[in-house]
Amino acid sequence: MPERAIIVRVMRYKPGIIDPPRFENHEIVIDEERTVLDCLETIRTNLDTSILFRHSCHHASCGTCAMIINGVERLACITKIGYIEGNVIALEPLRGFPPAGDLVRNMNGFFNYYPEPYNYIRHSEMLPPAAPLLEIKEFLRFENCIECGACVSACPVTDKKGDFMGPASLAAIGRELEKSPERSDELIALAGGERGERLCERALRCSKVCPMGVYPAMHIENLRKKRINA
Amino acid sequence: MERIVIIGGGGAGAALAHDLVMRGFSVTLIEKGNLFSGTTGRHHGLLHSGARYAVNDPSAARECIEENRILRKIVPGALEQNGGLFVAVDDKDMAYAPLFAEGCAACGIPIRKISPGDALSCEVNLVKSLRFAYIVPDAVMDAWRLPLHFAATARLNGAVISEFTETVGIDVHAGSVNGVRLFDRFRHKEYVLPGDIVVNAAGAWAGRVASLAGLVVPLRPAPGVMVSINARLTNMVINRLHGASEGDIVVPQRRLSILGTTLRLADDPDDTEVRAEDVKKIVEQCAEMIPAIKTQSVHAAWSAARPLIDDPKASNAQAISRTFDCFDHEGDGVNGLITLIGGKATTLRAMAEKTADLICRKTGRDVHCTTREIVLSDYRNTFRREAP
Repeated sequence: MPERAIIVRVMRYKPGIIDPPRFENHEIVIDEERTVLDCLETIRTNLDTSILFRHSCHHASCGTCAMIINGVERLACITKIGYIEGNVIALEPLRGFPPAGDLVRNMNGFFNYYPEPYNYIRHSEMLPPAAPLLEIKEFLRFENCIECGACVSACPVTDKKGDFMGPASLAAIGRELEKSPERSDELIALAGGERGERLCERALRCSKVCPMGVYPAMHIENLRKKRINA
Repeated sequence: MERIVIIGGGGAGAALAHDLVMRGFSVTLIEKGNLFSGTTGRHHGLLHSGARYAVNDPSAARECIEENRILRKIVPGALEQNGGLFVAVDDKDMAYAPLFAEGCAACGIPIRKISPGDALSCEVNLVKSLRFAYIVPDAVMDAWRLPLHFAATARLNGAVISEFTETVGIDVHAGSVNGVRLFDRFRHKEYVLPGDIVVNAAGAWAGRVASLAGLVVPLRPAPGVMVSINARLTNMVINRLHGASEGDIVVPQRRLSILGTTLRLADDPDDTEVRAEDVKKIVEQCAEMIPAIKTQSVHAAWSAARPLIDDPKASNAQAISRTFDCFDHEGDGVNGLITLIGGKATTLRAMAEKTADLICRKTGRDVHCTTREIVLSDYRNTFRREAP
C-alpha cells in the first residue's frame, strides 16, 4: 500500500502544565494500511514519549482506544489511514468523561448505572445450528458492546447534563432484559428512573457512532415503550 | 506486612497483585501506560488447552491445562467456552497425529478424535477435504477483560494501581532494594515509592527495568503478527494439527476471527512492525483450514512481543519453551528484586503464584496461595467509583 504524509493534530492536556488544552502537530509518513493507533504509537516511540492515550487489543475487542477522530467518535485501532480524507488527522479525547491527560479520560464513572449483575456472555447466534458435540452443549459468545464510551461521548444529553445515565448503560440494561426476562420489573425500573431513558432526546448519535452495531437508541426506545406499557 | 511494588501492569502483574493482597501484603502495581497495553491485551485470546505444546514443550503444556481448568472456574465471565479442534488437512498432518495424541495423553490433556463428517457438521466452514480432527478443551478469552478481573479483585482488596506511571529508577542501598523512583506521566512529577520487595513483571520490557538496577535478564522479545477479519466463521478455536509453526490458528471471538501468528526474535520490545508479507502469509496458511477466510477483508493487523526466556541452546525461535520463571536477584547483589519472565496469558495466575511463593520464602511468611479457588470480582470494579 502507498505511504502518505500526514499531520497528526493531538489535543494535549496535562493538568497544570499544558493547561488549558491545546492542539500539538506532528508530521509523519505512514502506510495507508496502518491505523490512527499506529500513528500514535509511532509518534510516542519516535517523536514525543510524553503523549498519553489508552490502547490494548488493537482489533476492536477491548474498547480502550475510542477517541474523536476528525470530529467523530471512532476506535483508533480500526480507523485506517487510507480511509481518512485529506492529510490532517485531528485527535481529541471523548466528551462526557472527566479529563485525565491528553487523549485519556477518567472512565471511573462509566459503569455506575450498569445493572448488577450484568452477564457479559450470550448465546451464539453466529452460525447455523451445529451438530451436538459431546463436550459442548451450546455455543456462547461475548456481548457485542466493548464499553468504549463512544456513544456516551456522542450523546448531546450526556454532554449538557451530567445526570443522564447515558446510552451505554441503557443498552446494557436492554441486553440484560433480553437475556433475563425474569428481571424485567427491576431492569425497567432502573432504566425508567430519573437519570434513565426519559432524558434521551432521540438524537440517535449513539447508534450512529457505535463501532460494534449495538444500537443503543433501539434499546432506549424499547425500554421506554416497556415502561409506558407496564 | 511488607510493601511490594510490582512493575508492569500486564496479566502477570495484575494476577500477582491479586495473589499478594490475598496473602496480606501491601501492594502497589505500577504501569507506564494503561493496564494491558503491552503484550497482554494484544494476544489472540486463546485459552490454551496445552495441546499445541504437548509434543515439544510438555512443561508448558501441563501448565496450560492446569490453568485452563482453574480459569474456567474463577473467571467464567471472560471466556467463550466453546472448545477447540485440531484439524488434519494433509498427509503431513496425518503423520503428526500419533505423536500429538501421545503427547496430549502424557500431559493429561483430554482429547477425542472425531470424523470429518462430524467435524464438518459442527463447523460448516472447515475445508471439505479435512481428514479428521481432535476436539480439545481450548476456549477463548477476552484478552482485556480476563486480566482486568484480577486487577478489579486486587483493587477491591486494597491493592493500589497506578497507571501512566513510569519506573525511572530502582533504589538500592547496601545491596538491598528500598524503593522505586516513579514518574507520574499526568502531572509530570517524579516521586519515590518505598518498597521492601520490587517485582519486575514488565514482560517484554523486563530487560529495561532490570537495567535500572544494573542487571541483565535472559529475556528475548519475540514479536508475532496477528490478523483479524470481520467475520466469525467458526464457533470453536481451529488449530492446524502439526508441530509448532506459523499461521496455524483461528480464534473466533464476538463477530470476528483472529488469525495467528508469526514468530521472530527481536532486541527491541517496541519493535512491532507489521509487514504486509506476514499478513498475506497468515491469511493464506489459515485459509488452508477455513477457505472462506480468503473471501474476507482484513479488519486489523497488529503485532505483540512475547517475553520469552532466552535459550542459547534452542536451535530456532519455535524451540524456545513458553514456560515461565522468576529470578531472585539476591545472588546478583540486589536483594529484594525479583524478575518474572516467560509465560503466556493462559498461565498468568500460575506465574503469580510462583512469584508470591518466592516472596513468602524471602520474607519468612508462611501464607498459602488461595487464588486457585477464589472466584474473581467483575472486571467493571476496576473502574467503579463506589463498591456496588
